[in-house]
Amino acid sequence: MRGVAIGLAGAGALAVVAWMATAQQPDGAVEGLTFAGEPVTAAEVALGQEIYAQSCASCHGADLEGQPDWRRRLEDGRMPAPPHDETGHTWHHADGQLFTITKQGVGAVVPGYESDMPAFGDSLTDAEIRATLAYIKSTWPERERAFQAEVTAKAEAGR
Amino acid sequence: MTRSSDPARPRRSTFAFPVRRENAALSRRSLLHSAVGALGLLALPFGVQAAEPAPLSPTALAFEGDALLIAGETFTRSGDGGAIQTSDPASNGGGVLALATHPDRPGRVVVGLATGGLAISQDGGRSWERPGGGLPDAPVAAVAVAAAEPDTLYASVQGDGLWQSEDAGQSWTFVMDRPWLAEAERDSLTLASVDLATGMGGIWIYAGTESGLTRVPDCFCRWQDVQPGDAMDALVSGDALPPEAPLPAGEPIRALASAPAAPETLYAALPSGIWASRDAGVVWSRAAEGDAAAVAVHPVDPNHVVAALDGDLRQSRDGGATWTAYAAE
Repeated sequence: MRGVAIGLAGAGALAVVAWMATAQQPDGAVEGLTFAGEPVTAAEVALGQEIYAQSCASCHGADLEGQPDWRRRLEDGRMPAPPHDETGHTWHHADGQLFTITKQGVGAVVPGYESDMPAFGDSLTDAEIRATLAYIKSTWPERERAFQAEVTAKAEAGR
Repeated sequence: MTRSSDPARPRRSTFAFPVRRENAALSRRSLLHSAVGALGLLALPFGVQAAEPAPLSPTALAFEGDALLIAGETFTRSGDGGAIQTSDPASNGGGVLALATHPDRPGRVVVGLATGGLAISQDGGRSWERPGGGLPDAPVAAVAVAAAEPDTLYASVQGDGLWQSEDAGQSWTFVMDRPWLAEAERDSLTLASVDLATGMGGIWIYAGTESGLTRVPDCFCRWQDVQPGDAMDALVSGDALPPEAPLPAGEPIRALASAPAAPETLYAALPSGIWASRDAGVVWSRAAEGDAAAVAVHPVDPNHVVAALDGDLRQSRDGGATWTAYAAE
């Protein structure tokens, strides 16, 4: 059953890539997808998908589904890795906040917070982090993407 | 409906909470004395004395309009022109641990029950129903109504975590584990939906625990300390953070109230007294000394506060600067 689900998800991802290819703007930008207010290209999304598979999927899930029972605390007091799809809360965070969490760790946003997620600032470049987050954003349904765009716009306006 | 007193009839006050049966789950509450007697006197015809001052063990207070709601062994409503009504939301005398109302849902009262689950009234506490599909059968120590979504409710289930209902209590979903403070999971003794933006498209839920204050955005990403302003902006910009004056460490926070008309105004009930904050919990000052068990703030007037303090119901009309005995209106 799970294999079917993954297969479907794979087909879905292909469909997304195909949609993005057709939805590309003349300059290569993907329609309706930005990061920190700047256009994102299909090549960036493809790069982000690769990086996600290598660096993120082991905890956050190959299909961005998160760890099982992710709302329940682990024995050590830390929280499991949450999903990055629409069932999680990633889409409540502004682009800048997602970038900071990925590069510097959760503690950079919530001082003193202990998390199993490492800071990726030493292993990924800023461009790679941006591409990975752009890939995650590209998988969200329209409602979540619109919500997160508004959160990002407000955060940008507040700076 | 289990109305047990008729304000028009009694010549002797029967307005009393039974003595609380202390147990591990409830021992955090102090037994208070004499406030019920005082409240009963206020409601009785002039010159009529209450029999004996009865023990009072309020676990929560809330306003519903101008009426004051008092939770304890039973549920008590006071203030509708001096009338007092009591009822038993649990239908078994099990007692009420938590209360919540919302200014945009007049008549609706949500209570958390010591015997497990919750009860909801749509008529100001006169009659009760027991919805709660999906909620574990365990004591509900804290309840809150989302300030910006009056049909969204939160319940803290003892030994379990935070649950949410988006249909006014009919069905429930687990949304967040208990906060982790001082190297352990802590039950929330009180919850308050604070109508201030998180920067994540929602507002905050504050929780008082046996080990201090914490809060979580209503997207439920993580429990976190109360920080001044936008902590991330300050870190990124390198600006100095404003001064903080947290609640005293090592004390349980038994009740929290955010003023609906001024959500950055918070009141907290602790064993050391009633504490007030005007900046959403960054800087606190003590508004009243004494053993405080519960606190509520008026839906329209953020300076109108009622507290269960050292065995009395006290009220302040000036944000906690001065206090007098509570008088039903």
